[in-house]
Amino acid sequence: MNHQQLMALLPFMVLATASIVIILLIAFRQGHTVIQVTGFLMMCLVIFTMWYVRDVLPQTIMPLLIVDGYGALFTGLIIFCVLVVGLFSYIYFEEREENPREYYILIFLSTLGAAILTISRHFISFFIGLELLSVSLYALIAYLRTRNNAVEAGVKYLLLAALTSAFLLFGMALIYMDAGSMDFSAIAQKLHTAEQSSPLFLLGFSLMMIAVGFKLALVPFHLWAADVYQGAPPPVASFIATVSKIGVFAVLLRFAQELHLQNNHSIMTIISVIAMFSMISGNILALRQQNIKRLLAYSSIAHFGYLLVAFLPGNSAGVEAAAFYLIAYAVTILIAFGVIILLSAKDKDAERLSLYRGLFWEKPFVAIVLAVALLSLAGIPLTAGFIGKFYVLMAGVQQQAWLPVIVLVVTSVIGLYYYLRIISTLFADVSVAIQKEKRLHPFFYAASYAALVVLVLLLLGFGVMPAIIIPGIKQFLLIGN
Amino acid sequence: MQEILFLIPALPLMGFLILSLAGRHLSKQVIAVVGAGVVCIAAITTIWLGINFLQTPQENGAYTVTLWRWMNVANFSCSFSLRVDALSLVFLFVITFVGALIHIYSAGFMKQDRDYARFFASMNLFVCAMLILVMADNLVLLYLGWEGVGLCSYLLIGFWYETTANVQAANKAFYITRIGDTAMAIGLFLLFRELGTLDIPAIQNAAPEHFTKSSPLITSIALLLLAGGMGKSAQVPLQTWLPDAMAGPSPVSALIHAATMVTAGVYLVARMHAVFQLSPLAMNITATVGAVTLLIAGCSAMVQTDIKRILAYSTISQVGYMFLALGVGAWSAGVFHFFTHAFFKALLFLAAGAVIESLHHEHGIFKMGGLKNKLPIVFYTFLAGAAALAALPLVTAGFFSKDQILWYAWSANGGSPMLWFVALAGAFITAFYTTRLMLVVFWGDVKTHIGEPPGRLMTWPLIILAVLSIVAGFIEWPHNMLHVTLFSDVVQKVLPAVTEKEGVPSESIFQLIAVVVTLLGIYTGYLLYKKNASIVAKWKLVSALVGLRNFFFSGWRFDQFYHTLFVRPFVFVTSLNKQDVIDKIYAGIVSMFQWLNGIFSVSQNGSMRTYVISVLIGIIFILALQFFL
Repeated sequence: MNHQQLMALLPFMVLATASIVIILLIAFRQGHTVIQVTGFLMMCLVIFTMWYVRDVLPQTIMPLLIVDGYGALFTGLIIFCVLVVGLFSYIYFEEREENPREYYILIFLSTLGAAILTISRHFISFFIGLELLSVSLYALIAYLRTRNNAVEAGVKYLLLAALTSAFLLFGMALIYMDAGSMDFSAIAQKLHTAEQSSPLFLLGFSLMMIAVGFKLALVPFHLWAADVYQGAPPPVASFIATVSKIGVFAVLLRFAQELHLQNNHSIMTIISVIAMFSMISGNILALRQQNIKRLLAYSSIAHFGYLLVAFLPGNSAGVEAAAFYLIAYAVTILIAFGVIILLSAKDKDAERLSLYRGLFWEKPFVAIVLAVALLSLAGIPLTAGFIGKFYVLMAGVQQQAWLPVIVLVVTSVIGLYYYLRIISTLFADVSVAIQKEKRLHPFFYAASYAALVVLVLLLLGFGVMPAIIIPGIKQFLLIGN
Repeated sequence: MQEILFLIPALPLMGFLILSLAGRHLSKQVIAVVGAGVVCIAAITTIWLGINFLQTPQENGAYTVTLWRWMNVANFSCSFSLRVDALSLVFLFVITFVGALIHIYSAGFMKQDRDYARFFASMNLFVCAMLILVMADNLVLLYLGWEGVGLCSYLLIGFWYETTANVQAANKAFYITRIGDTAMAIGLFLLFRELGTLDIPAIQNAAPEHFTKSSPLITSIALLLLAGGMGKSAQVPLQTWLPDAMAGPSPVSALIHAATMVTAGVYLVARMHAVFQLSPLAMNITATVGAVTLLIAGCSAMVQTDIKRILAYSTISQVGYMFLALGVGAWSAGVFHFFTHAFFKALLFLAAGAVIESLHHEHGIFKMGGLKNKLPIVFYTFLAGAAALAALPLVTAGFFSKDQILWYAWSANGGSPMLWFVALAGAFITAFYTTRLMLVVFWGDVKTHIGEPPGRLMTWPLIILAVLSIVAGFIEWPHNMLHVTLFSDVVQKVLPAVTEKEGVPSESIFQLIAVVVTLLGIYTGYLLYKKNASIVAKWKLVSALVGLRNFFFSGWRFDQFYHTLFVRPFVFVTSLNKQDVIDKIYAGIVSMFQWLNGIFSVSQNGSMRTYVISVLIGIIFILALQFFL
C-alpha cells in the first residue's frame, strides 16, 4: 500500500477511529454531552479529510477496495446522515431510561460498515461491510431493551438478517465457482468472455439479491420493515432508513455497473418485478396505517421500489437519478424522523397519528416542517422529492421500461393519499395538546431545530433549483470513470 | 419618463396590499387616506405623464417599459411590459381621475360601513386591474387585467354579502362575463396560432399581411374578441348582469359604469382595430350589436322605477352608442363618447348615491320627489349630469360626443341610414327617460323624510364632475361649427381616421334633426310627467300598454328567456345525475384499494413464521422465474 492509497483511505480510518475514541471516552467516564460533541467533531473530521484527500482520487486498493468519486459521493451522504442522526440522538437518548453512551460506538461502527460498502469492489469487503453494518444494527434496534417492541424488533431483524446473509454467502460462493474470482472486475471479465451468462451465475446473483432485497426492504423480503421501524428508537429507525439503505444500494449499483448486469435480460426482469411489487405493496400497506413510524416504513418500501426503476437503465443518467433520489430521500426522511424525535415523550414515542391531530395550531413550525417533508415524499413540485421522482421517471422512460414506469405513476397517486391524510391531520381543528415538557437541553433542542431548518431549506433548495446540485453529482460520478 | 409608468398600476396595488393585509388594524381615517390617496397619486402621475406625452411626442407614439420577462417557453415569450399611447392615455386619465374622485366620494359615502378596509382594498385592486388592462403591451397581460376586473367586480357587487340577492347578482355578473371571457380566450389562442405572437404592436403590424381581408378566420377572431368585449361591456345578449349589478354600493356602480369594467370592451375593440378593420362583417356586427343594445336598453330605462336601474340601463344604452361608433369605423368618436360618458355617468351614480343615502336607502323614484330645494348641490350637479346624458345641445359634453356618433352612423363608411335612425330613436328615448328621472325625483312633493345632506367629501367630487360634464365636450367640436379637434388629433395617432361616404346630405341637417329630436324627447317627458300627468294614468288602464311596459320593465324578458333556455335544462340534466354516476367509479377505486390494504395487511401479522415464509416464497419465486426466462 503506497502513500496515496493510504491517503485515500484516511477518511475511513478516521471513521473507524471514531468508535475507538468513544470507547476511550467511556472508559474515562466522560458524560453524554462530551461523547456527543466528540462524535460530532469526528464526523466533521471525516468530511474534512474527504475534502483534503480529494485530489488523490481515484485509488484502487487491491484487491478489496476502490476509493473513487462514486464512493466519495455516497460516503459523504452517509456521513451527512450520521451527523444529523447523531444530533437528534442526543435529545432523544438523554431523556430515555437507557445509558446512551455505548449507542455512539455502535452507530459509528455501523456507519463504518455502510461506508465500506460504498467503496467495496470485492465480495469479501462487501460481506464484511454488510455484517459490520448488520451486527451493530441488531444491538441498536434493541437498544431500549426494556421496551417490548424493541427486543422483538431486534430479534426479528437478527433472525432474518442471518437467514438472508446465508443466502448471500451461498450466492457469492456460486458466482466464485463460476467465475473463479470474487473481484467485481475479474467476474466482469469472465462474464464478458463467456458467450452467455451461465445458469450458475444467474443462480448466484439471485441468491445475493435476497440479502440485498432484505436490507433494502424490497418485496417479498420487506415484512420486517414495519416492525423494526416501530420497535427501534426513532434515531435508529432513521439510521436504518438512510445510512444502511444507502450503503447497500451503493454496492448493488456498483456491482451492477461493473458487470453490466443491465444487459442481462433475466436479471432485469427479476429486478423490475421486485420493483413493481415493492411500489404496489408499499403504497397499499401504508394506505390506512395509523402509526406514523410504520407508515414511514411502508413508504420506504415503495420508495426503494421507485429507486429500482432508476436502477434499470444502467447508464450514467440512471446512476445520477439514483444518486439524486437517494439524497432527496435521505434529507426528507431525516426531517420526518427528526420531527418524531422532537415530539416524542419520555416514555413513549410520538408514533400514533392521533397525536398529530391539530399539531399546526400547537406547534406551527414543526407541523410545517413535517408537512414539507411529506409533500416531498409524495413528490409534489418545489420539493426535492419531485425532482428526484422526475429524474427516476425520466431514466425509466429512456430505457422504455414502460410497465415499471406506469406502476410508478399509478402507485405515486395512491401514495399521495396517505401523505395528504397526515397533512390534513396536522391541520385538523380539534387539537389534542401534546404535553409541554420542560426543555432539559435548550442548546441541543435549538441545534435540532436548526438542523431541521437547514434540511428543509435543502429540500426546497434542491426542489426549486436542482441545478445547484446536479453538476456536483455528475462531477463526483465522473471521478474514476 | 417611461420609468415611472409602473407607478400607475403599482400605487393602487400597494393600496390594496396595505389595506388587505393591515386594514383590520387601521383606523377609518388612515384607511380612507391610503385607499383614496394612492389613486389620487396615480391620477396626478397620469396627468403629469399625459402633459409630458403631449409636449414631447415619442418617436413611436408610445411610452414603453418592460418590467420583467414573465415567461419564455419555446417560441412564446411574454413580458410584463407596459405601453402607453394616446388611446391608453385617454383611458388612463379617466380611470385614475374619475376613479380618484369616486374614491374620495366613497370615503364619505361608506363611513358607516364596518368593512371599510375591505371596500377600499377591493376598489384599489379594481383600479389596478383596469390599469393593467389598458397599459398592457401584450394580450396576455391584458387578459390578466381583464380577469382581475372580473374578479373585483364580483367582490364589489357582492360587497354586502349578507343579503342573498347581492351574492346572486355577483354570481350572475361573474358567470355572464365569463361567457365573453371564454370567447375572448379562444380568440387569443387563434391569434397566437396564426401570428405566433400576442404583442399588441406586433399584431397590428403583422395582421394586415398575414390575413386576407374578410376571410372567415379573421372574422371569427374578430367576433370572438367582440364577444369578450360584449360580456364585459354588457351588450346584448350578454347585458343581463348589469342591471342586477346595482346590488353593490353606489360608488362601485359609478366605478364599474364610468371608469372601469364596462368600458373594457370598448377599449378591447378599439385596441384591436387592426383586426376588426380586416373584417367588414365583424365591423357590421359590432355596429348592429351596439344599435340593438342601445335601443333595447333605452326602452327598458324608460319604465324602470329604481333610480339606479334607470342609470344602469342608460349605461348599457350609452355603451351601445360606443360600440355603434366603433362598428361604423368612427373609432375616435366612440372613444370620445367614452370620455365624456365617464364624467356624467360617474356624476349621476354618485349623485344618485347621495340621494339614496339622504332618503334612508330609498331606491324607488316615485317615493322621491321635491328634492330640488332640499338638496340643492345634488340637484344642480345631477341636473348637469342629466343634461349631458340627454345630450342637451351645445352646453353639455354629451352633445358633442353623441352628435358625432349620430353623424357617423350614417356618413361613415360602415354606416347606414338604418343605424342612424336607430341611434336617433335612442337619442329621443334617452332624452325622454332622463327628463322623467329628473322631474320625478327633484320636482313634485316630498314623499320621504329627507335625512342629513351629504358632506363635503361627497359634494366636491360631484361639483368637479358636474363641471367636467359640461366642459369636457369643448375639446372636440363638430366640423361645421368650430375647428377645435383636440381630442381626435391626439387619438388619431393611434386610431385610424374615419373614411366618409360620398353623397351624404350636409352635416348641419343631421345636427338640426338630432337637436330637434332631443328637445322633443325632453318635451315629451315634461308633458307626461309634469304638465299633463293624467295621460300616463290613462295609459295604465290599457292592458296592451301595461303589457308592453312590463315587458320593457323586465329588460325584454331576457332573464326569463335564459332561465328557460339554459338554466332549466341544465338543472334538469344535473337532477338526472343526482346519484353522481361518474363518482361511483372513483368510489369503487377507493374501496378496491381499501380492500387490497386489508388483504396486504394480513401478511403483516408480526409472526416470525410468516416473515420467513415470505422470504422463502421470494426465493422460490426468483428461482422459478429463471426457468421461465
